[in-house]
Amino acid sequence: MGNLPHGAAHLSYDGHALHTGRGPGRCFMVDGRCLAGEPVEEAYAHVCALPDADASLEFDQPEIQQVRRDALAWWIPLLGDALVCLTTLALDASRYGGAITVTREPVAWSEDPFARIFPGCVLRTGLFSTVLPPPGPVLERYAGVAWPGGAF
Amino acid sequence: MIAATVNLEPGQRFPDLDLPDHTHRPRRLSELAGGDPLALLFSRGWWCPKEQRHLREVTAAQGEFEVAYARIVVVSIDSPEVQSAFRAGLGARFTFLSDADRVWMDRLGLLEETDTTHRPYRPTAFTLHPDLTIHGAYDGYWYWGRPTVEDLRRDLRAISRAVRKDFRG
Repeated sequence: MGNLPHGAAHLSYDGHALHTGRGPGRCFMVDGRCLAGEPVEEAYAHVCALPDADASLEFDQPEIQQVRRDALAWWIPLLGDALVCLTTLALDASRYGGAITVTREPVAWSEDPFARIFPGCVLRTGLFSTVLPPPGPVLERYAGVAWPGGAF
Repeated sequence: MIAATVNLEPGQRFPDLDLPDHTHRPRRLSELAGGDPLALLFSRGWWCPKEQRHLREVTAAQGEFEVAYARIVVVSIDSPEVQSAFRAGLGARFTFLSDADRVWMDRLGLLEETDTTHRPYRPTAFTLHPDLTIHGAYDGYWYWGRPTVEDLRRDLRAISRAVRKDFRG
């Protein structure tokens, strides 16, 4: 994983826990805003990702576009005030490695559209801060800045 | 008609509306634009068959807006709960802003005077630059006054050409 693009941050997942920075575990790039503010303690993170290095898809795959459309259409409204933030997990300029939805309380994780891509597990965490949910679009902008982050 | 306190003609800066969205979250128009061109649609409300027809047309084009990095925002006097249901029924993925208390209506001068039952917004549409400068303005009191998707394409192409430095042609 090369230079970190402006607006991105590193986050690692070893299959059991999340860690800021590079490792231990598999390293992803996330929307940096999710780690930049005052952390929400004892939050719930639904991590839809695998620690295996080969678990990835192209961001441009129709399935990856569709889960983001579903997030905008009904997942975010369904979460309501429980939502802290969400971010996709980018591996590089073009590869999707998963997504994390962070909430203040337990929610209907089984409805998480990102779990259609990689299975989800719920972790307790104090890493993430509140970010207003995205109004759109469904495409990532700058290579390596995980959706919904980035701007022109 | 209540006189508007702002000028909504092309070239003017549209006010940075601060209203709750369809999930009750406080939003600002500039934040929703997020650096992208924006189609801002003032709508009577969910009950109006003209609004239902027009917003179905806009919703059908939302995928195009998304890949073109452009935004759609709808403002109405419906409550966030009603907007959320209406939005879900349309299959829309864009943001609705609720002005149920009509806090911006007088300042914008966009009261629909003939509907004294609902006191809704006059159907009006604007195409905006990312900094909220008005490019195009449409009065949709009569249905044919509303922007078609083709009108929106034309306006957003012009705005994108102006604001994207690497837009060629």
